[in-house]
Amino acid sequence: MTSTRMTTTGTTTNEMTASRFPRISFWRTIVAVIFAAGMYSMYARFALGFQSATNLTDPQPWGLWVGLGTLCGVGLSAGGFAIATAVYILGLERYRPILRTSVLISFLGYSTVCAGMLYELGIPWRIWHPIVMWNRHSVLFEVSWCVMLYTTVLALEFSPALVEKIPWTRVRALYLRWHHSLLIALVLAGTLLSSMHQSFLGGLYLITKGKLYPLWYTPYLTTMFYLSAIPAGLAVTIMAIYLCVRSLNARVDMNILSDISRVIAPLLAIYGVFRAVDLINRDATPYLWMWREETGLFWLEIALLVVGPVVLLNLEKVRITPLYLYWTCAMIVAGFVTNRLNVSVTALQASSATYYIPKWTEFAATLATIAAAVVAFRYAVVYLDILPKNPPRQRWMVPSAPAQA
Amino acid sequence: MATTRAILVDITKCIGCRSCEQACKQIHGFPMDSETKLSPTAFTVVEERGDRFVRRMCMHCQDPACASACLVGALKKTAAGPVTYDAAKCIGCRYCLVACPFSVPRYQWSKLVPYVTKCDLCAGRQAKGQPPACVEACPVQASIAGDRDEILEEAQRRILNDSKYVKHIYGSDEVGGTSVFFISDVPFEKLGFVAVPKQPMPILTANALGDGPTVILVGGALLSGLYWITERRAQVAVAEARDKANGRS
Repeated sequence: MTSTRMTTTGTTTNEMTASRFPRISFWRTIVAVIFAAGMYSMYARFALGFQSATNLTDPQPWGLWVGLGTLCGVGLSAGGFAIATAVYILGLERYRPILRTSVLISFLGYSTVCAGMLYELGIPWRIWHPIVMWNRHSVLFEVSWCVMLYTTVLALEFSPALVEKIPWTRVRALYLRWHHSLLIALVLAGTLLSSMHQSFLGGLYLITKGKLYPLWYTPYLTTMFYLSAIPAGLAVTIMAIYLCVRSLNARVDMNILSDISRVIAPLLAIYGVFRAVDLINRDATPYLWMWREETGLFWLEIALLVVGPVVLLNLEKVRITPLYLYWTCAMIVAGFVTNRLNVSVTALQASSATYYIPKWTEFAATLATIAAAVVAFRYAVVYLDILPKNPPRQRWMVPSAPAQA
Repeated sequence: MATTRAILVDITKCIGCRSCEQACKQIHGFPMDSETKLSPTAFTVVEERGDRFVRRMCMHCQDPACASACLVGALKKTAAGPVTYDAAKCIGCRYCLVACPFSVPRYQWSKLVPYVTKCDLCAGRQAKGQPPACVEACPVQASIAGDRDEILEEAQRRILNDSKYVKHIYGSDEVGGTSVFFISDVPFEKLGFVAVPKQPMPILTANALGDGPTVILVGGALLSGLYWITERRAQVAVAEARDKANGRS
């Protein structure tokens, strides 16, 4: 029995060299379908234009690509800076084993955002314009610079995982020494840049006063976005690591994950208190009980993002059972996505008297970029030293590998 | 041109002939069919509200939300009054559409290389000393153009001297003042005018952006301090471990 399983594992991980065609599995089929739909979306967006690819209109100029692709893409990638700050700046060494994973998730997340930007911009080949054309009164200008710089920081933070695979020892040593001397500066810059643009993403909507529904419009949108991004980013990190352990033979001490969940709960509680105090201060409490679609969406968001997870994470059983923890984190992510879509889509609809349902091509394009990031993540975990793996490491770089094929 | 130009629309005088629409379309070379809403080929439209006709167009705010939002500075408030759009800079992010409190800018959704479109108060014509095409075309002087201060005075004179007018000039204090004013004998909210904040919109984001340098300085100092403590702790731990190993503690 044991030997059979060993062989199976062997074939799966060596399939790149062992067989010409990848095995058809459920998830691979899903990914293939998403990619096929994504290809059509790409064609629709770039060859036919916005009108064919989206349901965007003048009253709803930003839709799913901004709400899900950009706002959630950036927000859910906050785990990288949170863990890097914890390990390098605060010296919380117990999180070091998952540092690379969280940086990788963030890097892929930001890459997804940058790729999504090409879909989102009307004239994508002018994406470089903000580098030379400045308007420092624009929140979007600050966001674009922070995202550009932070994506670079993440690439540099992650680079050793790739560089250490370079066979030339001298180059490798030189680069790693240079990287080591730069690392703290990178992490520090990353923390500041992240803090700025995570909040400025909320700041984008400060100018929609009078248009954004009062349950969401607050002068503290920046604070709200920042406070919610960190726990949500950490939740994504937990989910990804759990999946690595389950499906990719990664070996991670599950206590680290329950330690993170111990941090997430108070962070979400603080966020909830901020939301409540803000609503009371702005005299917006009557809106909490109005019979409107916005009210329902607001409570859905609060239930998924604050109440549900805070209650669940207070249960010892949830914190120490990886599967329960995984689904609680999924709830946080769902709540976070609801919040960002509420701010960017639903809360703006009443004032503009419009009703926007994204076209299927909008979903497909976003899903395809996310799927690409997931696939890249999987291969990175399998072939690079991201997480320690259970069976002795596959000797993927052995010189005889081509000869076997 | 030294003075800031502005337009006054007197809703009591408008007869709904749509000459302004036609003149605007003609000067921009757009198809001449009348449209009911602002569009990439209609920078001004005359809407029917009850028995009144309300002209819609860019308000040319004194401190425009769109110009503060535009990350590449394609939208600008010029000294002469118009808020102009530089298509060569635009990257198509459409933040201006999100930001505009009056929901005026329109996007060319059907084009493969789409741009933002809106009225520019005939900036080119005004630079040559000509009035905006729509004003020139108005047969009953429902729209008049001129120096902003004089136009405001004229509006004030009209609403003070005639009791039929609502005692408010729409645009005088909306979003900190605009360059297009409306006066009416029917309350503005009944004519589809939106209640916008009284302060200039860019103030809303300027406060947040102003926090940026503080975040960097304070945050940077704080993080450096924390890092120093972490490093120091690590050094002390190493030293203590060494001392222990040497049997001196």
